[in-house]
Amino acid sequence: MAFTSVSFILFMAAVLALYYLLPGKVQWLLLLAASWGFYLVGGGWTIVYLLLTTLTVYLAGRALGALNSRKRTDKVKGLKKLTVLIAALLCFGLLFVLKYGGYTLRLIGVKGFEPLLPLGISFYIFQSVGYVIDCYRGKHPIEKNPLKLALFTSFFPQMVQGPIGRCHELLPQLTAPRRLNWDSLKYGIQLAMWGYFKKLIIAERAAVIVDTVMAEPSAYPGAVTAAAVFFYCIQLYCDFSGGIDIARGAAEMLGVELAENFRRPFYAVSLADYWRRWHITLGGWMRDYLFYPLTLSKPFIKLGKATRSRIPGKLGKLIPAALATFTVYFVIGIWHGASFRYIVFGLWNGVLITASFLLEGSYAAFRKRLRITDKNLPWRIFRILRTNLLVFVGRYLTRAPGLTAALSMLWATFTGFRLSDLGGVLDLGLAPSDIVITLTAMAAVLALELYQELGGHVRAGLEKRSWFIQWLGILAPLTAILILGILLRGDYIPSAFIYQQY
Amino acid sequence: MDKLMKILTETCPGVDFEKETALIDDGILESLDIVTIVSEIMDVFGVELNVDDLLPENFNSAEAIWRLIESRS
Repeated sequence: MAFTSVSFILFMAAVLALYYLLPGKVQWLLLLAASWGFYLVGGGWTIVYLLLTTLTVYLAGRALGALNSRKRTDKVKGLKKLTVLIAALLCFGLLFVLKYGGYTLRLIGVKGFEPLLPLGISFYIFQSVGYVIDCYRGKHPIEKNPLKLALFTSFFPQMVQGPIGRCHELLPQLTAPRRLNWDSLKYGIQLAMWGYFKKLIIAERAAVIVDTVMAEPSAYPGAVTAAAVFFYCIQLYCDFSGGIDIARGAAEMLGVELAENFRRPFYAVSLADYWRRWHITLGGWMRDYLFYPLTLSKPFIKLGKATRSRIPGKLGKLIPAALATFTVYFVIGIWHGASFRYIVFGLWNGVLITASFLLEGSYAAFRKRLRITDKNLPWRIFRILRTNLLVFVGRYLTRAPGLTAALSMLWATFTGFRLSDLGGVLDLGLAPSDIVITLTAMAAVLALELYQELGGHVRAGLEKRSWFIQWLGILAPLTAILILGILLRGDYIPSAFIYQQY
Repeated sequence: MDKLMKILTETCPGVDFEKETALIDDGILESLDIVTIVSEIMDVFGVELNVDDLLPENFNSAEAIWRLIESRS
């Protein structure tokens, strides 16, 4: 059941009506039934994997709860680590087999293993493993009710593509009794409308250009290839953040606040800043459950001591953290799919971020000499443009059909870019009027984000206005979606969300 | 405290550690900075810090970091 389908709208309306009619004590049971129903419709029998994951982390949580209450001896510490290890291996093992099993077997000549990738599998696995690690760290009480934990792992708005929630933030909200709050309902609808606007009006149109070029990238000159990647940047952001807005909006209508997953990434001033604003919950997951544990592990601390004593300056201090950074971006790269281009994508980001950290002192001295402060507007604009250029180059790797194609496209863009070729964009299946709509709508998104970036608050701003203007905040995007996203849709078929199969 | 200030200013030149009280909340310190600072602290002060110590409240200001070091000494 896609977020963009009429059936989802009807489903959401029915859930909302029932949710607020039911007594508070059983509302969470309705959410669980709705979540499993949602999954069964979208993922069919693959719900088995979701249930197995839930059972695994439930048992691991109970075991850790029992161990947490015992005296902290070496044996108990060892058992706790073993429990986390087994649970993580089972969950990530399942993800590996389903996502990379076919690819790995093909590498050794075995063909025919092509399992169906369950809906949103990596999102619920990351969330579930996070739960176990937090149980290990004693960050929240162990959930003793398996059905409540099942709601945490399967809450339907975030099932498709996140955001990845943390148990101590999400579970109490999911199980709390609630009464209808008109503000939550209004805000939720506004946010979901904004998501639909981005997905149906912008991403769907941009996808036409992107898909046409990427089907045969070598057939197009550098300028058209660059335009396709430019539209891909737009498509990816509006598709993913649009889907997240719909998810967060749907949850908000139910009184549940999901974590923020995007914070205006196009206004980032460095690549590291960009990744702090893009897919925030995955970045946070990687930081808390991979980067920190890795850098503070005994082998890394030992390595750090050795490098600091042998290599003078910042480089010596940086090597263990750089290694962990590489590991994180390698994992993020691999998470996108089994292909060398994703590994190169991970390395591209890892190298640039580590290098900028290493050169931070030199940058600071350079700025001081030129008397440039971080608040200097031209300097800030330059940094934003530079960051977007680096992200743009990286996107060749994630969208091209393969590594060789990505490198050829990059070569074509940077060695054969002719402005006169840009007219070719008009022959890629998207009508000129649709190109204008896409770019105008994207400009509107960027303008609103600039307002937020400068400290503006859309909700607070609307709240001060009349009742009519507040509801116009819902009706205006709704009308635009109906006219531009559905009625005047060109000759293309709406596609699924890009991240739902990750 | 002087030793700590030396570590902080060497890791993140340009940050006013005397005044800043939201180093994590405002995104002034990045994860790479935090890890470098933690490694230096463990080395210089001979204390053991682990993942559970990496909470925003422990790293939001030089004062908070100092309190963390003292609690581990």
